Amino acid sequence: MPYLSEIQNRRVIEPNGNVVGRLTDVAVVPQGQFPAAQWAILATPGGEKVVRWADLAQEIGHLRLRSRLEATPPAQLPPDALRLARDLLDKQIVDTHGAKVVRVNDLQLSEVDGQLRLVGADVGLRGLLRRVGAEGVAERIAGVAGRRLPRGIIPWHLVEPLQAKEPEAPKTAAVRLTIPHQKLALLHPADIADVVEEMTADERVAVFQQLDLETAADALQEVEPEMQAAIVSDLPEERAADILEEMDPDEAADLLQDLPEDRREELVDLMEKEEASDVEELLTYPEDSAGGIMTTDFVALPGEQTAAQSIDQLREKKPDPELTYYLYVVDAQGKLEGVLSLRDLVVAPPETKVTAIMDPRVLKIPAETPKEEVASLIAKYDLLALPVIDARGRLLGTVTVDDVVELILPRGWKKRSLRSIAR
Amino acid sequence: MIRTASAVRRRARVRRASILAFLAVMGPGIITGFAGNDAGGVTTYTAVGAHYGFALLWLLLLSTAGLLVIQEMCARMGAVTGKGLSDLIRERFGVRWTIVAMIALLIANGSNVAAEFAGVAASLELLGVERIVSVPAAALVIWALIVFFSYRVVERALFVLVLAFVAYPISAVIVHPDWDSVMRGLAIPTLSTQQAALIAALALVGTTITPYMQFYIQASIVDKGIDREQYRFARVDVYLGAILTGLNGFFIIVAAGAVLFPAHVIVGSASDAAQALGPLAGEQAKLLFGVGLLGASLLAALVMPLSTSYAICEAFGWESGISRNFREAPVFMGLFTFLIAIGALVVLSPNVPLIPLILVSQNVNGLLLPIVLIFILLLAGDRTVMGDQANGRVSQVVGIGTALMASALSIGLVAVTVFGL
Repeated sequence: MPYLSEIQNRRVIEPNGNVVGRLTDVAVVPQGQFPAAQWAILATPGGEKVVRWADLAQEIGHLRLRSRLEATPPAQLPPDALRLARDLLDKQIVDTHGAKVVRVNDLQLSEVDGQLRLVGADVGLRGLLRRVGAEGVAERIAGVAGRRLPRGIIPWHLVEPLQAKEPEAPKTAAVRLTIPHQKLALLHPADIADVVEEMTADERVAVFQQLDLETAADALQEVEPEMQAAIVSDLPEERAADILEEMDPDEAADLLQDLPEDRREELVDLMEKEEASDVEELLTYPEDSAGGIMTTDFVALPGEQTAAQSIDQLREKKPDPELTYYLYVVDAQGKLEGVLSLRDLVVAPPETKVTAIMDPRVLKIPAETPKEEVASLIAKYDLLALPVIDARGRLLGTVTVDDVVELILPRGWKKRSLRSIAR
Repeated sequence: MIRTASAVRRRARVRRASILAFLAVMGPGIITGFAGNDAGGVTTYTAVGAHYGFALLWLLLLSTAGLLVIQEMCARMGAVTGKGLSDLIRERFGVRWTIVAMIALLIANGSNVAAEFAGVAASLELLGVERIVSVPAAALVIWALIVFFSYRVVERALFVLVLAFVAYPISAVIVHPDWDSVMRGLAIPTLSTQQAALIAALALVGTTITPYMQFYIQASIVDKGIDREQYRFARVDVYLGAILTGLNGFFIIVAAGAVLFPAHVIVGSASDAAQALGPLAGEQAKLLFGVGLLGASLLAALVMPLSTSYAICEAFGWESGISRNFREAPVFMGLFTFLIAIGALVVLSPNVPLIPLILVSQNVNGLLLPIVLIFILLLAGDRTVMGDQANGRVSQVVGIGTALMASALSIGLVAVTVFGL
């Protein structure tokens, strides 16, 4: 996948190998998601020449004109064309409020459907190093230190070139870029998290102010833990509390654990009673124990209930799919008695008591169990979840496989897992 | 012509409106002028006056003219483009040249920060505090102020201390200098080709037109949101600031030239320099000089590392701002911490003489000035950047002349030093 800096200044030769000049710039019309390279600007001894991109063939180390330069029809750039090197490279990417974000260090181009297209803006350290020809060296040095250079590419469809406000103003002064928040909201929460991690603090807060609550909560869960705390600290309290309510209680509790105590208490006070009490309970356990990572959402069926009543209960509560892998049976005191699957429940005669169909040999762990141990149990027995109990055997919550997935997966599988192992 | 009362009133209103408009946009230029009045400036002007009398005043006059024109260019660039100088260098010249410009700025400002800490050490030594105490304390306080508190309030308090330097114009007048020779010094260019003289001359140019001030004025104009419309008022402020810098240098040189030069004082310490205020303040001269130098040094040591970090992070698109923490803006926080630490360490290295250190730092500024000037001239003269506000012929000629003057002195000094001519 070439970058602009890699093809810029390449020699341009005629079919017979005669060098006619260098490629100085590539022009696109900024329309559609990934605009195609349509024109090449060449520096020739006879001055600047514009040719159609289609009249050039990319070869190793140089570009070859399909016919002789004199025979190649000169092209005209339309007024709305953008010259990548002149109008985009080195410019700032600013958000819609005009706050500074990052700078375009390089532009990523890619062959899509046989056409070279602009696919992203490189705003990372790699782009900067590539521009001074030091990417390879830096990569080797980083490799020796056992690290990798981070990539920082903003996909082009998230970027909008801003048109000049004053028509007579020089074009270079007016082209700015923007990451529109509306476009951001269309992404998957995990992708939003990736983009947000690249932003400035102010910009992040602005994004979390504008997203709808559910998306905001999902995206916040995907953001790396240290940054989560920073975002929640910077948001207005009401908004932060609303987002926390929408989050899974265990994720919310983890996040709150990273906040200063007074801020944590303020936020819990602002949350709805029900969510607040879940979170508060979770907060009493150490962060790296079963109690600290478990979720307090689970399906508990009273032991004296019949299969039909239980199915009605599920129908009414509509629990999230990941909560229905295991259904737990508890007695009147909330003590865990057994476990059964949704299948067990459905195939049982309607009037059977759940205690009769459950498996009483349920694997359970005390809340103080270290999370590494929880992870190895889940991995060893191939479980989707493990129930967590207190000293008196009462069911407190469950640890699902996604709560410990980062401890099970091999190193580097998921970037978050790497970070949590390093911690 | 007989004016009617209402016409007079209308005129008065118009005038008041433009005075208000002026007051609204004034500040950046005058503040930059003040900022030039730092440890480097005071020490260099005093040394120049003490060692060469009024002989280098012509060079100050030329430097001030250059400063006036170049500051105006930078301010105009800020108003027209709404971007800082390092911003424009990056957008116009790409990554490689930006690295060149930023390294020049970093070295120039790093040496300035060292000079400011030398100023802190020298002024507090006058008041009886050892530098091994004063310098680390000042560095820590400045760093903590930036990281944990708002430095704006302190900035204002320090401005008040700098007012002690009002003593120079008064001194310069009450010592009754030989105004004829002052005029001759202004009008007739003379320069010895000895190394010491070239060092003094380059320091004089380097301290009057620092690379730092050019970045600072443009950033201030952008921060204030001054646009093309308001720029005609801001221009007056910029001119006033440059003239203030020149006058300030003029009075220090005259006071030192009238008091220290006839007594053949070689300025080797702050107490030598303080004698220039003797005719005015008598026994209290040291106190007066010490307070002024302390205020000026602390002020610049506070502002300089910060604005350097801003300029460099702006050029490379790294997160900046004092409301960020080390995780969010590692380069920004790291850079100014580094500048403060290096500046303090240089001054603390054993047996470093403070006054020569300050003079050398201003030479570094003078040496690097041409690099920064070339960027400024190329940008301000470029119609694709500035449109119809690009440099006119006069600005361009004066700018090029200033760059040539600084280059000639730099080359001369290097030649004399290397070849011992």
